[in-house]
Amino acid sequence: MMRFKQCKTLLTTVCLVALSCGASAQNKTVAIGYQAPLSGENAQYGTVFRNSATLAVDEFNKSGRLPGVTIQLKFEDSKSDAKEGVNIARKFSDDASIVGVIGDFNSTVSMAAGQVYAQTKVPQLSQTASHPDYVKISEYQFRNINTQAYEGPLIAKWAFDSGAKKVAVIAIQNDWGQSAAGNFVQGFKALGGTVTDTEFFNPGTRDFRSILTKMARSQPDAIFVGAFYEDGSAFLQQKVQMGLKQPVFATSSLYEKKLLELAGPAANGVYLTSTFVVESTEPHVAAFVKNYEARYNGKPQQFAAQAYDATNIMLNAIVAAGGANATRAKVRDALAATKDFPGVTGTTSFDPATREPIKLLSKLQVQDGKFVSVK
Amino acid sequence: MFDVFFVQQLVNGLSIGLIYALMAIGFTLIFGVLNVVNFAHGEVYMIGAFAGLLAITQLAPPLFAVILVALAFGALAGFGLERIAFRPFRRFRDEASLKSKAIREATLLSSLAVSIIVRELAEKIFGSNMQSIPQEYLLLKPIEIGPLSFANGQFLIFGLSIVMLGGLQWLLKHTRVGLSIRAVANNPMGAAYVGINTERTIIATFVIGSTLGAIAGLIVGLYQGAIFPAMGFAPGVKAFVAMVMGGLSSIGGAVVCALILGMAEAITTSFFAQGWGDLVAYLFLVITLVFFPTGLFGGGRERV
Repeated sequence: MMRFKQCKTLLTTVCLVALSCGASAQNKTVAIGYQAPLSGENAQYGTVFRNSATLAVDEFNKSGRLPGVTIQLKFEDSKSDAKEGVNIARKFSDDASIVGVIGDFNSTVSMAAGQVYAQTKVPQLSQTASHPDYVKISEYQFRNINTQAYEGPLIAKWAFDSGAKKVAVIAIQNDWGQSAAGNFVQGFKALGGTVTDTEFFNPGTRDFRSILTKMARSQPDAIFVGAFYEDGSAFLQQKVQMGLKQPVFATSSLYEKKLLELAGPAANGVYLTSTFVVESTEPHVAAFVKNYEARYNGKPQQFAAQAYDATNIMLNAIVAAGGANATRAKVRDALAATKDFPGVTGTTSFDPATREPIKLLSKLQVQDGKFVSVK
Repeated sequence: MFDVFFVQQLVNGLSIGLIYALMAIGFTLIFGVLNVVNFAHGEVYMIGAFAGLLAITQLAPPLFAVILVALAFGALAGFGLERIAFRPFRRFRDEASLKSKAIREATLLSSLAVSIIVRELAEKIFGSNMQSIPQEYLLLKPIEIGPLSFANGQFLIFGLSIVMLGGLQWLLKHTRVGLSIRAVANNPMGAAYVGINTERTIIATFVIGSTLGAIAGLIVGLYQGAIFPAMGFAPGVKAFVAMVMGGLSSIGGAVVCALILGMAEAITTSFFAQGWGDLVAYLFLVITLVFFPTGLFGGGRERV
């Protein structure tokens, strides 16, 4: 009996080896490294990235766009820790099958790993790192997210064109909030508008009435909010309670289903931007939402879409770099040449000089408790 | 000259201060009796808010019933907290242990431990995000009085703090439980010698203090539209500052100082920026401690 079992195991092994040999004889594998926090504090984001990337690669392999080549995804867990990020970067760099890397989640880890990739000349594409210095590390760094330097002036123009000549600005007191407020203010002043107040609130603030009273005194035409959805919804509720009627313009950080739940009717009328609109009726976006939901039980949010596009941009670059013959250098050049990539987060191009992404933002308004696209 | 915006800022400040005061009342009561900071008070506050929220989402009762639910959970939390974090350190009866600083610090740390465990558990169960609150329960309905805008929650918080403060004073001065609480606060060993059941008194203190904390958590959560596991931390720090400024064991003093802190924050926001609000609040604390080392309303020996 024992012997029979052993025989069976041996047979299976032989079969497997034969199979995989056969496969590799006609099929070449090209790998993409994906580093993201799959455990720890930011695990919810890493998990979403893994879902989206797996979905994109499976679709790609099935599509037969590269006959004879299988794309393989190699995931490593960076735990949102810069030290881990560097270790993974070394590991990925040593893996000859990897022609490009996607990740990491936040700017700190992405930049730490980026130092390694810059030396080992591996193209790195982060789906979310928005720190201004990230793409300045070397010509191997790319990102698939707009920075505030792009979004701020765009919202400023939107507000100005809608008739607001005086705005009050409120933003969270951290690096992101300061750059959101700073870029908006700069953009708005450049258009000839005036900024009545620029108020920063400490993270964790629950009471915005003092700031609202201050804003009420200076009577702006509109209010710009650079905050995340939890603070944003508290602000919106208290704004309604205090009787301020000014329209609110906000960054894409408020594009979150939770905002509608938390703020309720107070969210109605808010103008905001987003690169990804889950309610969109465009066929490729609707298909992504449908496939994602079918596979992972839950609608994709902005971050899922960002990772899905990053993976597809990388896949496109691999195709452009020659598929089976792709090298890291060729993939980098192909990435840099990305132009008008039609993704679910809008059309994306990389600026040839700065490698900064140029993504078209959709304009949204909350109407009757729903995000609605507006012109 | 009558500046309506400045008056509105004073209203804002008053309502911020009242939130700190609501929390400081229970906090100071417990400190007064045991002379130990109860770091888990913020979590009792959170438990009250979550218990109320669960009642709202499961049963949707009238607000009065929701408050009763929070009250019940607060009492239970206070009882459990005393059992887990405080009682084990009172099993040594000799005079040296009673006066030992190490035992006091151990109690302080055990309450901190309970606070962290409870908060993390809540984050595991409910997630660290803010919970969605059904709109009709939010205490944010605008009420306009002349040019000033109020929310219905502000009146409720104002009424609640008066009821709590008044009720507690009456309880402490006119009931048996209250008298024993004051006796134990004044001299625990003396109280024991004259036949007061100190253990039971301490439990009663925790139950009363935590009930007040839980109701405060619920009302403030509904007023701010923010119920989440770490919600007790920020007001807890301010309540602690108010308690220290007020002289550690004076409940009225803590309330007055909480109002000063709230006003200071609102007025600082008005003239400088919101980011400076905390700095001014802590500056007040430092000034108080330099010029009144026993707090503004401390002084005497009598506690509670």
